[in-house]
Amino acid sequence: MAALGVDCSEASEVEGNNFSCQKTADSWKRDIIRQLKHRDKSQKSMFQDVIRSYISLLERTNQQALITKGILGSGSRHLASSSDSLPSLISKNDDLKKITGELAYQVVELQQEIRIKDSVLEGQAVRMCEVQRSLQGVQSDYGGLAARVAEVTEGNRQLKREYDALLERHHDMDQTFRVEKVRGQELLEDLIKRKQHAAVRMNSRNERRVRAREASLQKELETAGKLNVTINVKKRRGNSVCLSLQEDLYAPVGICVAARVPARALHVLDAHELGINAVRFSYSSNLLATGGTDRSIKLWDVKGGMLHNRGTLDGSNEGITSIEFDPTGTRVLAGSYDKSALFWRLDDSVPKLTLTGHSRKVTAAKFKCSMRHVVTGSADRTVKIWDLHRAACIQTIEVLSYCSDVVCSEFFIVSGHYDRKIRFWDSRAASCTQEVPLPGKVTSLDISPDHRQLLSCSRDETLHVVDLRMNSCRICFRAEGFKCGCDNTKAIFSPDGSYLAAGSADGAVYIWNINTGNLETRLPEMHSSSINAVAWSGSGEYVVSVDKSRRAVLWSDI
Amino acid sequence: MIADDKDVLRDVWFGRIPTCFTLYQDEVTEREAEPFYLLLPRVSYLTLVTDKVKKHFLKVMKAEDVEEIWFEYEGTPLKWHYPIGLLFDLHASNTSLPWSITVHFKNFPERDLLHCPCNSVIEAHFMSSIKEADALKHKSQVINDMQKKDHKQLWMGLQNDKFDQFWAINRKLMEYPTEEGGFRYIPFRIYLTMSDRPFIQKLFRPISPDGHTHTLGDLLKEVYPVAIANEAKRYQVVIHGIEPLLETPLQWLSEHLSHPDNFLHISVIPAPSD
Repeated sequence: MAALGVDCSEASEVEGNNFSCQKTADSWKRDIIRQLKHRDKSQKSMFQDVIRSYISLLERTNQQALITKGILGSGSRHLASSSDSLPSLISKNDDLKKITGELAYQVVELQQEIRIKDSVLEGQAVRMCEVQRSLQGVQSDYGGLAARVAEVTEGNRQLKREYDALLERHHDMDQTFRVEKVRGQELLEDLIKRKQHAAVRMNSRNERRVRAREASLQKELETAGKLNVTINVKKRRGNSVCLSLQEDLYAPVGICVAARVPARALHVLDAHELGINAVRFSYSSNLLATGGTDRSIKLWDVKGGMLHNRGTLDGSNEGITSIEFDPTGTRVLAGSYDKSALFWRLDDSVPKLTLTGHSRKVTAAKFKCSMRHVVTGSADRTVKIWDLHRAACIQTIEVLSYCSDVVCSEFFIVSGHYDRKIRFWDSRAASCTQEVPLPGKVTSLDISPDHRQLLSCSRDETLHVVDLRMNSCRICFRAEGFKCGCDNTKAIFSPDGSYLAAGSADGAVYIWNINTGNLETRLPEMHSSSINAVAWSGSGEYVVSVDKSRRAVLWSDI
Repeated sequence: MIADDKDVLRDVWFGRIPTCFTLYQDEVTEREAEPFYLLLPRVSYLTLVTDKVKKHFLKVMKAEDVEEIWFEYEGTPLKWHYPIGLLFDLHASNTSLPWSITVHFKNFPERDLLHCPCNSVIEAHFMSSIKEADALKHKSQVINDMQKKDHKQLWMGLQNDKFDQFWAINRKLMEYPTEEGGFRYIPFRIYLTMSDRPFIQKLFRPISPDGHTHTLGDLLKEVYPVAIANEAKRYQVVIHGIEPLLETPLQWLSEHLSHPDNFLHISVIPAPSD
């Protein structure tokens, strides 16, 4: 720089020719210009090229370093500049190769891991697909079920509506029913009232009829009284002789002189709807009454060898067990399964009296000799005595056993029982005076017309006759083929007291001679089932037998 | 003349210094660091033009060993806010080229250097110098009349080394009302190597009250007479690496030999003993 200062004056001289006009004034300027040029030459131009090529070389090496860095992928830097020595280059190359090997191994490992992870992912994707599918399935099911639920609820609502409608209708119907019921009750009451009125009217009519009959009787009696007739009135022990005009008078009893043993059947007919249990002839006439399971008593007349129906007595609620006529033949007494005894007057078909009080079926109902009283025997182990006027039971006798039949004599009541005994009762004292044991169940009793003998039929296929006076002698009657058909088989005396008749289970009527003790005759073939009862007419001409199969047969000897 | 003036401006702008950047040997490196050669522009600032240097040295260093970069020459930390040409003239003008600068990444000398974290710091310093210069020259009228984009253009011109872009705006700052004959005051700083104070800056008019044009010699006589006192020529007065004649007019010097920050940076260095 010092040299420059010395040179400046010289230089200004050299360049002075160029600047002609203001040489001195601009000498300092020229000096400056010159100095600047010199400076640039020494400082700038000499170094410019070197530094430029240096910088370009540097950049190139940087590029190469970047490239190798990119290839290796690691952080190691390598400047392959020309100034490096060969061995270091070789060692660096070896290092790079080792690193490449390691990296290749790592790459293989990582690829393996990637493959494993991929397979896992696939599996998961598959599972997810499955799950999605099942989800879809479930969703569709759910959709279906929801639809069904909606349907069902709709259906329910429908049903509910219908039900409500029906309920309302039912309600209305209920109302109408109640109204109708009330009306019905009113009508019923009306009807009852009317019936009562009718009954009252009928009662009054009956009474009028009775009174008329009484009046006519009275007239007859008066006329009869005017006649001189001697009447034997037997004294009854303890019985009061009732002098009332009507029912207590004995009518004359017809006496049969001789009974005729029947030989053949005159008339066979089906008399009833169901089986016939009882049959009885009236004492004085040929009027026949039959009664059975069909609850009615039919009246028959025997004319010209035939049975003609004369009427029906109704009023029993159940089957008839026994029938009895009163001595006048105008009144009928019957025992019934409906635990009552019924009493008819023959004019009326409706019972005048119903005697209730037994707790079981009435097996026999008989008039007591005074005609005011009735004796009934019942399965309830009692015998009751009734007053007809009052229609009430005046005495009950505990007879200890099922009573199957009852007969009355002047002095006592005889009852037959299932415990194989016949008991005699004193009616006043209601005590048992005698017991007669029998080998079998007593099915029926009958008393002879002269009240001297008692016939009993028992289940051991025998008939026994007891002498009432002596209370002892018994005759036993048997027959080949005779069997009691049931517990109520009836055996009877003939009206003259010389024969016994009974129906058998084989459908034949057996007739014994009392005096000889032997079977007199046997009448088979007319009945096809067991005979329940027989009756002998008061005149002795006819015998009627009735059986279980509703058949009645009229027998006679001609 | 004007063409000469334009040439002067161009030569001043495009001045270069060949530099060799060497990494400080105690810095921790993964490999050996190669020195980096670069032509530095005289008129710019160190931290503005040394990005390549930083990148070059960062290649061989680990990130955790890197702090703020700073430069030193023969033990002296180089202040980045001085123009590079000034730093060279002041410290190494008579040494052999290239200029060897040592690069440091650790132990930043807090007492000697300012931190320069980013370019906007350099821009702020540059613009404040311009404003200070214009305050001396025109009472800040010219700089204040300029728009923000003009200020930006000055900075961008310097940053991108664009002579025309810079001087399009800077010529306005070099104008003066003709009746004045010059600036109000000349913006200058005189830097001394052997002194406690960093620089001398005083108010000095380019035209004397009686119309006489002041020269460089007048300035030195006034402000630092030691520089020209000796006949033995013990001191050199250097601007932009040259020694202008002492009769050079100060106004012309300010117009043509100012740095881009509009200041005349004058170095007074001891003359080399041949």
